Amino acid sequence: MKFTKVAATALASFLAVGALASCSPGEEEPGGSNSQAGATSSAFPTEWSEEITIDVFDGLANAMGEQPGWFAKIVKDKFNMKLNIIAPNVAGGGDTLYNTRVAAGDLGDLIVTDKGQKLDELVDGGLVMDVADYYPNMANAKNFDAAVQKLNSDFAGTYAFPTSVSSLAPTDPSEGIDPTFGPFVRWDLYKQIGYPEINTLEDLLPVLKQMQDAQPTAENGSKVYGMSLFKDWDGNMMNNAKQPVTFYGYDEMGFVIAKADGSDYQSIIDSDSEYVRTLKFFFEANQLGIMDPESTTQNYDTLFSKMQNGQVLFSFWPWQGQSAYNTIDNMEAGKGFMIAPMKDQKIFSYGAEPAGGKQVLAVGSKAEDPERIAAFIDWLYSPEGTYANNSQTMGAAGPQGLTWELNSEGKPELTEFGMKALVGGGADVPAEYGTGTYKDGASWLNVTLVLPIDTDPNTGEAFSYKTWETFQEATSNPLYEDWSAKMGGEATTMDYLKANDMLMVAPGASYTAPTDSSEIETLRNQVKAVIVSESWKMAFAANEGEFNALLAGLQETAKGLGYDKVLEVDMANAKEQNDLRVASAAGE
Amino acid sequence: MTVTPAVDPVRPEAVQTAKRKLKGAGEPKAKPKSRKSFAMFLSIVPFLILVFLFSYFPLYGWIYSLFDYRPARGLDGSEFVGLQWFELLVSSPTQLKQIGQVMANTLGMSFLGIATSILPLAFAVFLNEIKAKWFKNIVQTLTTLPNFISWVLVYMIAFSLFSTTGLVNTVLIDSGLITIPMKFLDSDQNVWLTMMAWSIWKGLGWGAIMYLAAIAGIDQSLYESAKVDGAGRFKTMWYITVPQLMPTYFVLLLLSIANLLNNGMEQYYVFQNAFNKEYIQVLDLYVYNVGITGNSLSMATAISMLKSIISVILLLTVNWLAKRVRGTALI
Repeated sequence: MKFTKVAATALASFLAVGALASCSPGEEEPGGSNSQAGATSSAFPTEWSEEITIDVFDGLANAMGEQPGWFAKIVKDKFNMKLNIIAPNVAGGGDTLYNTRVAAGDLGDLIVTDKGQKLDELVDGGLVMDVADYYPNMANAKNFDAAVQKLNSDFAGTYAFPTSVSSLAPTDPSEGIDPTFGPFVRWDLYKQIGYPEINTLEDLLPVLKQMQDAQPTAENGSKVYGMSLFKDWDGNMMNNAKQPVTFYGYDEMGFVIAKADGSDYQSIIDSDSEYVRTLKFFFEANQLGIMDPESTTQNYDTLFSKMQNGQVLFSFWPWQGQSAYNTIDNMEAGKGFMIAPMKDQKIFSYGAEPAGGKQVLAVGSKAEDPERIAAFIDWLYSPEGTYANNSQTMGAAGPQGLTWELNSEGKPELTEFGMKALVGGGADVPAEYGTGTYKDGASWLNVTLVLPIDTDPNTGEAFSYKTWETFQEATSNPLYEDWSAKMGGEATTMDYLKANDMLMVAPGASYTAPTDSSEIETLRNQVKAVIVSESWKMAFAANEGEFNALLAGLQETAKGLGYDKVLEVDMANAKEQNDLRVASAAGE
Repeated sequence: MTVTPAVDPVRPEAVQTAKRKLKGAGEPKAKPKSRKSFAMFLSIVPFLILVFLFSYFPLYGWIYSLFDYRPARGLDGSEFVGLQWFELLVSSPTQLKQIGQVMANTLGMSFLGIATSILPLAFAVFLNEIKAKWFKNIVQTLTTLPNFISWVLVYMIAFSLFSTTGLVNTVLIDSGLITIPMKFLDSDQNVWLTMMAWSIWKGLGWGAIMYLAAIAGIDQSLYESAKVDGAGRFKTMWYITVPQLMPTYFVLLLLSIANLLNNGMEQYYVFQNAFNKEYIQVLDLYVYNVGITGNSLSMATAISMLKSIISVILLLTVNWLAKRVRGTALI
């Protein structure tokens, strides 16, 4: 009681200040939005005398500790600031780290978390700060003012900043030249076995088997497996088993998988659901001997290095398989991951979110220098920040001058160093830009503020180098040529999918599921623990009888624990999301 | 009846009488000798405070089970839900079955632990018979060391030995004995037994220390007279060493029964995975999984209260047993 009063008073005063502030200097400079390097607007100091280290609690980061390398140097030079990344993904144990830090009352100085329940609670609990005072100065963020306002519409103040924003229409895919998902196989081996036709998901099994037989051991002497899984990202379900579902246009909403066009909603544990179909697919892969037995114990990093070594032949995602294995050397030799389309696929694609994606940025309420953090967030929205911060797998080009520059025709082009660092297997950065390899020094934040396929007003081309004409010309290689020839001359995966009507774009609606009631949440957590562990058991069942028995057991246990109650909520959410998608698409 | 809490550690009855006396300390029966008894009272105050702090104050935490506790909002901002979590616990047969399985795991592994508690004793008795001192020392050091290795590292050792590409599987495959790697870690076969084996490996040497000390305290004249009577080495072990160790053994046994439900969670936490979860989740681990990993702190509080309830039931049972067998109750 007492607390809420204090909070309300604090809020009211913030509001007043915020209202005053927004009337004054911010409004007078709408033109200052796109000026590149000086984008850290006039009202923010350009120099910060005292060096600080901020704790960044980053729900997306895959590395923990102090940010090293060239990105660290940029942040240090610009903001005299070091980033100490706290990564729950690395710490493991789900929300353990989040909960303990929240309970202690200090999550971090800069917070990357989910909107919806988590953000609502952080705002309610006073763990994040209202930065309305600084927002008027955040010229780059103001370019996406509509998204910022929508995100904060439920709060009395400006607490959070959206991610994955862009100027694209909601019906446009938010991905670049590749979708997020797709059946990507080692094209060289696929070619070697004579490009067998793949009509549907299950046809991949014999294909992968043949590919594995064609190359049973990798160059490093290790055994090659058709498929390999990992468990790090398990949530409402076994994460890996959800991926093939997306090849048919479905995405998850709690325990529901919903088709992007709203035509089908499935309960994942139903015997005929696409999810169970995938489990069966894994099970059969295991029976065929093309499933890596280490799947049950390894993590993402182990799997990734296996892919780099050529020990795994299938990837659910281009940003995994290709970034691991498609180095220039490999591609020159015709080797690499490319999509091997299944005849009946309808690949799910995330439409551009008008009000941003699932994650948000916020400033912690105990941050010692909120102004500097606000300036930093604003910089992340600037073109310079976008080039530097966006993840490499999404095609971020890196700092201008180092990895890319404008050529004589004024078009962006990767420098020699850029080619080597980004697609050529890595390179050490020159001393003036920092230390270590380029890859190790890339941003650990792993959060996309401005979509890489959005256009940079300064160059007229997208932020992602992968879409640049100069890049596509420069990187033409036997792998792409062979793939393209097989795909009717299409240049990129996206082109091919669009041309063959194999893409299903879910219009971006920036939908956030409402907070679960405490009862639903508890039931959900109990049920999902069962679903995840039983799914793994099913995928690695000894025989079909055991598979079916496990499925029946899963259905019984899940329902006994209250699955149906949670499903009802998820079903309603999925339908609401679809309504929003329809509205969002029609709004264009 | 003097009010001197002199406790004889060997006789449990003495502890009991002392306890009973403590209870009576504040009552008027413990007559005027006021100054002295007040001083005596002062001397136990620190312990009373400790008991209060660590045994009673934490009970305040039970209040969380009546709320829908959200860490970000704090207890003040969290909704009061009454007995919702308790109702949820017994709301369906599946819930009950899950808790039943957890209890079975806890008690099962605890009893296995108690059943094997004779091993350190045997180990100590045999170790004592080794005459080469340097060898004895080496054995003792090597067996005691694992106790100081944390469970995380033990799991790393287990992983590098027994994972599908670990040492054991590699050797077996290379030697042609098997073709498919055996699943040691990610299987639900014999989870209790493997867990027991790991804890024996880790605790054997450490557990023997107490017995070795007790052996050192055995009167040598007993051995001498036995030898005079013609007893061989095994006879002296069986008729002198073992009986002399029995009091120590029973004290430790009693203590371990008191810790029946506290069989730790680190070991099970590091070894758990999707495949063995059903049989490895002991009460403490289950509470952790529900509360911290599953983000339902209030529900976890409700479950953890089970532990207290079961402890009380155990205590009353033992008390009843003691009454039947010995004629005197423990409490």
